[in-house]
Amino acid sequence: MLKISKLAAQDYFFEWQISSCFVLALAAVLGPILILFGLKFGIVGNMIDELVNDPRNRELRPINSGQYDQQWFDKLEARSDIEFVIPRTRIIAGSIQLKSKTSPRIQNVELIPTKSGDPLLSSIADIPSGFNRIILSKSAARKLAVKPGDVVDGSIARRYKGRNERVHIQLTIQAIAPATAFARDGAFSSLSLLEALENFLDGHGVPELEWAGSEVTEPGYYAGFRLFGRTIYDVLILKEWLNQQDVGVKTRAQDIETVQRLDRNLSAVYWAIAFIGAAGFSLSLGASMWANVDRKRRELSILRLVGFSTGEIIIFPMVQSIITAVFGWILAVILYNLTSVAINKMMALELAPGQQICHLLPIHFVVSLLFTCLAATIAACLSGFRAARIEPAEGLKER
Amino acid sequence: MRQDQQLNPFEKPSILFDLREAKKNRESEGVAFRLSIPKLQIFQGEKIALIGDSGSGKSTLLDMLALLSRPSSSTRFRFCPVMTAESNKSELVDIGMQWRKGRINYLTALRKQYIGYVMQTGGLLPYLNIKDNIGLSRNVLGLPDDGTVTELGRHLKIERHFNKFPNSLSIGERQRVAIARALAHKPAVVIADEPTASLDPYAAKTTMNLFISLVDEMGITLIIASHAWEHLKSFGFKSLKHQTQHLGDITESIVSG
Repeated sequence: MLKISKLAAQDYFFEWQISSCFVLALAAVLGPILILFGLKFGIVGNMIDELVNDPRNRELRPINSGQYDQQWFDKLEARSDIEFVIPRTRIIAGSIQLKSKTSPRIQNVELIPTKSGDPLLSSIADIPSGFNRIILSKSAARKLAVKPGDVVDGSIARRYKGRNERVHIQLTIQAIAPATAFARDGAFSSLSLLEALENFLDGHGVPELEWAGSEVTEPGYYAGFRLFGRTIYDVLILKEWLNQQDVGVKTRAQDIETVQRLDRNLSAVYWAIAFIGAAGFSLSLGASMWANVDRKRRELSILRLVGFSTGEIIIFPMVQSIITAVFGWILAVILYNLTSVAINKMMALELAPGQQICHLLPIHFVVSLLFTCLAATIAACLSGFRAARIEPAEGLKER
Repeated sequence: MRQDQQLNPFEKPSILFDLREAKKNRESEGVAFRLSIPKLQIFQGEKIALIGDSGSGKSTLLDMLALLSRPSSSTRFRFCPVMTAESNKSELVDIGMQWRKGRINYLTALRKQYIGYVMQTGGLLPYLNIKDNIGLSRNVLGLPDDGTVTELGRHLKIERHFNKFPNSLSIGERQRVAIARALAHKPAVVIADEPTASLDPYAAKTTMNLFISLVDEMGITLIIASHAWEHLKSFGFKSLKHQTQHLGDITESIVSG
C-alpha cells in the first residue's frame, strides 16, 4: 500500500498543473462554506454570548407585589440555580429625592436594594452597606452632576399624625453604575436603607437614623425581590418553579427563544448550503477523478503489468483524491482566515473588544478536514473501482 | 508462490509454457478474430520469435502468455517458471484454472515475480525518473538495490540518464529503459512485443543486440514478437508456426510450436 501510495503521490506532484486545478476547485467550494459557517457561528455566538453574559437576561422580575418572609428567601438562597437574590420593599416606598450641590434640580430616584454579588454591579468592587452610601445610575448621576465621592442630600416625606414630616440623610456616592445596570434614574443601596425608608413611610421610627415614629411590632415581610438565575437556561426552570408557587414573574425568555430560533434557522440555511456545496464538490471531484482514470488508463495498466494488485490499483486514485482534499482544505483555511480578518476588521467598530463576527473554533477546522477527506474518498471510490476494472491488456493497447 | 498440488508434474521439467487447444476470441469494430493454439510448448532458456503481419494475433498471444488476457477456452494452460533458489522447486501453475477461478491477483503476483514485459512504445511511467522506472519491477517485489539497476543501465548505455524523466529521452533510449525494467527483477521469462518497431533500422539493430546479449547472459527465456526474422535467426531464435485463414466472418490465426 505504501508503494502504490508513493507512486500516486509522485504522479500527483509530477502533474502539478492539473493537480493545482483540482485543489483550486475544492478550495473554491470549501472556502466560502467555511466563511459562511464562520459568520453563522460568529454572529449567533456573539448573540448567545451577549445573552449569557448580560445578567439582565437572567433576571426574573415579580409581576405583582407579594408577601415574602426571610424563610422564603433563605430557601431561594439555597438553590444552586440562583446566582443572586435580595428582598425588595414596596415600590411606592422605594424612592428618594436627591439634591446635590452642583445641580439646582431635586431628583427623584428609585432605590434598588443591592448586596455583594449583585450581577448588575459586577464591575464595581465595593458594594454599599449601611445607610449612607449609594451607587447612582448613570442617568441620575448625569442629572445631579455628581461624581464618586460626592455627597448628596436625600430626603423623604410622610404625613404622620396629621402632620407633614420630612427627614434628610447624607448619602455618599460610592460609584456610578454602568449604563447597562439601570437605564432610569436610580440608586443602588443596602437593603437596610430601603427598609428604613419603608418603615418611616409606614409611620414607624428608625432609631439608627434618629427618625421618630411608632415601633415596628409585626414580623417583616417583603413585597418583592430581585432574582437572577445562574445561567440563561435556569431562567425557564426558575420561572416554572415560581409559577407553581403562584409567584408571577417576567423574564427575557422571549429574547432567549428568539436567539435560539435564529440559531436553528441559520443552522438550517447553513447546512442546506453546506450540503449542496459538499454534494457539488463530491460530484465535481468524482467526475474529475473518473476522467483522470480514463486519462491514466495506460499508466494504471502499466502498474497492473508490473504486478500491482487490484486493491492497490483502487488505492491509486484514492490517494490522489485525499491529497487534493488536504491541499484544498489548507487553501480554503487560508482563504477563510484572510476573509475573516477582513470582515472582523470592517465590523470592529460595531463590536465589543475581543468580539469577532466571523469566527471558528479549532474543532471546526478538524471536522471540516475529516469531512473533506471523507467526501474525497467517497468520490474517489467509484473511479478507484473503475481503475480496477481496466484490463491490463486493454489499457496497453496503444503500444 | 503457491504450488498447485492437484496437477501432475510435467514429463519435461524444463517446460515453461504448455498450452493445448487454447483459443482467444476477440471482436473489434464488428470484425471477429480468433487466435487458435492447438499445441504450444515453450522451454526454459529458449528464444522464441513470433513473426507475422500486423493483426495476426501476435500481441493477443503475448498477452495470454504474460497472464494479462484470459483465454476464451483451453484444455491446458500451464506455466512452470524456473526453480527458485530457496526451495529448489519449480512452480507449476494451472493458469487456465486460475483464470476460471477469477484469481486475478494471484496471476498478477505470478507476473510480478516471473515475467518481464517490454512494450512496443516503452510504457514508462512519466512521473518516475529513469532509475526508478528501471527499478520499478524490483521495487514492486520489495527487492533491495543490489546494483542490478546500475549494471543494466551501464550495459544498455543509459546510466547517464538515470536522473532524467522519460520525456527527455529519445525513443530508442526509452526502449532501452523498458528493456532494463523488464530484466531488473531477473524474471523467468521476458515477453517483448515488437520492442524495436518504433526505432530506425540502425537503432533497432543495436538495441536488439544489446537486449539479446543481456537475456543470454542472464539465462532468461525470451519470447519476442517481431518482423525482423532475418536478424533474430542469427541469434538462434526459434520461430513459431503461424497460419491465418478466413472462416466466413471470422479471421482465424493458428499458432503452434
